[in-house]
Amino acid sequence: MPRRDAEYMEVDSDSDISVGGGTGRKGKGKDKAGEKRKKDKGKGKATDAAYTWEASYTRSWDTVQEDEAGSLQGAVEDWMARGRRRRLLAPAAPVRRTIIRHLILLLDLSTSMLDRDMRPTRFDLTLQYAREFIVEWFDQNPLGQIGVVGMRAGIGERVGEMSGNPQDVLKAIADRHKLEPTGEPSLQNSIELAKGSMNHLPTHSSREILIIFGSLTTCDPHNIHDTLDACVANKIRISVVALAAEMKICRELCDKTGGQFGVAMNEGHFKDLLFELIPPPAQRALSRAAGAGASNPAADLMMMGFPTRLPDASPPSLCVCHSELRSEGFLCPRCLAKVCDVPTDCDICDLMIVSSPHLARSYHHLFPVKPYTAVMSMADASSSSGCHGCARLFPVVALAAASEGMSAVGRYRCPDCQGEFCSDCDVFVHDVTHVCPGCGK
Amino acid sequence: MDDDSNGSHLSVVLDLSPKYWELSARDPPENTYPLTLATFLSQLLAFLNAHIACRHENTLAVFGAFPGKSVMLYSSSDPLPDAQSTNTNANSYPPFHAVDSAVVQRIMTELDSLEDQSRRAELDLLEAPSAMVGAIAKALCYVNRITLPPSSNSKTQANGFHPGVLPDPRILILSISPDLSTSYIPIMNSIFSAQKLKATIDVCQIYGPNTVFLQQAAHLTGGSYIFLERRDALLQYLIMSFLPPPAIRKTLSVPTQEQVDFRAACFCHKKIIDIGFVCSVCLSIFCQPLPVCTTCRTKFPMKTLQRLNAARPLLATATGNSRSASVGRAAAVTNNGVGGLPHSGTIGNGNTSNGR
Repeated sequence: MPRRDAEYMEVDSDSDISVGGGTGRKGKGKDKAGEKRKKDKGKGKATDAAYTWEASYTRSWDTVQEDEAGSLQGAVEDWMARGRRRRLLAPAAPVRRTIIRHLILLLDLSTSMLDRDMRPTRFDLTLQYAREFIVEWFDQNPLGQIGVVGMRAGIGERVGEMSGNPQDVLKAIADRHKLEPTGEPSLQNSIELAKGSMNHLPTHSSREILIIFGSLTTCDPHNIHDTLDACVANKIRISVVALAAEMKICRELCDKTGGQFGVAMNEGHFKDLLFELIPPPAQRALSRAAGAGASNPAADLMMMGFPTRLPDASPPSLCVCHSELRSEGFLCPRCLAKVCDVPTDCDICDLMIVSSPHLARSYHHLFPVKPYTAVMSMADASSSSGCHGCARLFPVVALAAASEGMSAVGRYRCPDCQGEFCSDCDVFVHDVTHVCPGCGK
Repeated sequence: MDDDSNGSHLSVVLDLSPKYWELSARDPPENTYPLTLATFLSQLLAFLNAHIACRHENTLAVFGAFPGKSVMLYSSSDPLPDAQSTNTNANSYPPFHAVDSAVVQRIMTELDSLEDQSRRAELDLLEAPSAMVGAIAKALCYVNRITLPPSSNSKTQANGFHPGVLPDPRILILSISPDLSTSYIPIMNSIFSAQKLKATIDVCQIYGPNTVFLQQAAHLTGGSYIFLERRDALLQYLIMSFLPPPAIRKTLSVPTQEQVDFRAACFCHKKIIDIGFVCSVCLSIFCQPLPVCTTCRTKFPMKTLQRLNAARPLLATATGNSRSASVGRAAAVTNNGVGGLPHSGTIGNGNTSNGR
């Protein structure tokens, strides 16, 4: 186990130099418990990150320690074994997640966003993180759509229409001069606007509002609690990332609609809070019996078409969506109309056209690879000399000490095909490919 | 390209299904250009030698997909010990000789053992579909291994091989069997991991119909998909299109695929479909409306089922001839001089897109 040196920690806690990465923690981790907590949570985790002005240096190099031979291998393998154990402990029961998502990003554009407590300003940082958020969000939710609404000068203002194309959304917030903050924000007006643009959406998709809120006030024309009740009735989930401090109404918006609320303490924490909202939310857990018996109103069967993509070199023709001459495009499989982009609904026959790789991106959640078991001794190992995946030769002598879940002989066996893999391939197969090279499943 | 002093890595995945090689080798009445496994191997080995000869740092790995089994035939990081010592010919360049003999020997032994096994088990193992997915997954594991920074326990430095410095790894799939719709999900998973590794997948379909999934693989990873029309010219196709690394191909204008078919395989009957029914919870694809999702056990509302079943007669005719329709569709699009779809004149917005 790596050990921290107490005298270095003194320097640590006294230091008042802020670190841009924001992965600092309160300098009170001298005791064993603090050390343990940090190790468990990894770095940059919300709860023990410091306020910007309290941040201290972190020394990531202190957490690994060389073994007697001066090698880091032991520490690295220990770290990998921990990941492996966590995978074994992960619940096998499938979690239902909403995959088709609709999100309205509500940006505070009031004067309070010009505060400089986050560098360069709250506004610039918000725009920058919003861009990263949108890219990452579309990567993980390829079938989702995002719209952007700004709140400034007491009204809600539509910045970008609901769109499934990340480029459209990014273009909407690309020009910061059009978004220059002015006036007071109005939560009610902008939530009403966002709600109005999601009313028509089908029930099987999620409706979400994400508010990035820098102000400590809101000026509303009516009772905002009525708006809140309407959101609850419409099953709109509201999440708020506040940049200043907690407000009762914001907390209530999130709690009643099932969203998440967080106050950003520093730049890094702001990003963490925002990016926590990217993975598809798990649907409220139904018990197994009830889940199979009761019909879930949110679930539905959808008819979808998988198009043919025309190459750039094909002769140009008019598309049905913009009536423009284009070479490239996608053909609707039912009516053969040409649309410019997928996913979309065919303008002619109203069939939902999606590209099948978009759907396939989530299939590894449905059919995960079984965890490999560690081969504990040389006697147990098979006769193969190299990894079944990458053909790297296995070590011929067993390591002296191996922690739990880690193989002393560096071999991990698939329960189905009995193939033996090295630890790199074990991690790669379970985290990246999701295909066992032995069984081909 | 003088600026990159590093070599490039090439993994070749060979489809070695005896059934389809036999079909491919038949004489003219059935095939216009017959191609036997032996001619294929000799042309392939010339290509592999060309890759090694391009640059000293180039690395190579060869994987074979046999029926029900996938094997690494050769890799330049751990050459077989016996291949180097035995029968060195004074007239051959040793690295070429090592590749050639290793690949051919391994293929022979594997095919022999397959024959033995099937004789012993009195089953025709040779008819089984080839383990393409396993071979691709192994190729990915190998690419992952050589792109990882060298760890202290790897002994790969022995022959001057430095991992972690190879740009744009490539995987070339030489496929001969038709689509394996049962392995739709693992193939897609492999494609996404190739994207993450920034590996390019090139596909050469040597025999039989176009493979939908391999087309998608090449499209999604930025590789090229080539359907071999003149099978006797295999070596030329290989050298002209697959030898240059992807960065150079832009300037060379390598043939690209006509169109990409984004069809998927349904989970229930493993049919390749172009219109399917998708569960909104887990996105499983079915070829007919089901009351309960077989993957996540979600029950679907009766109303939807009735509506979709009512829409089906229309659909049944549409999917029934989808195979021929999609071929016809391609022809219609390319033949229609001005381009345009057969329908766009009538259903667009009333203007004359036919242009005639």
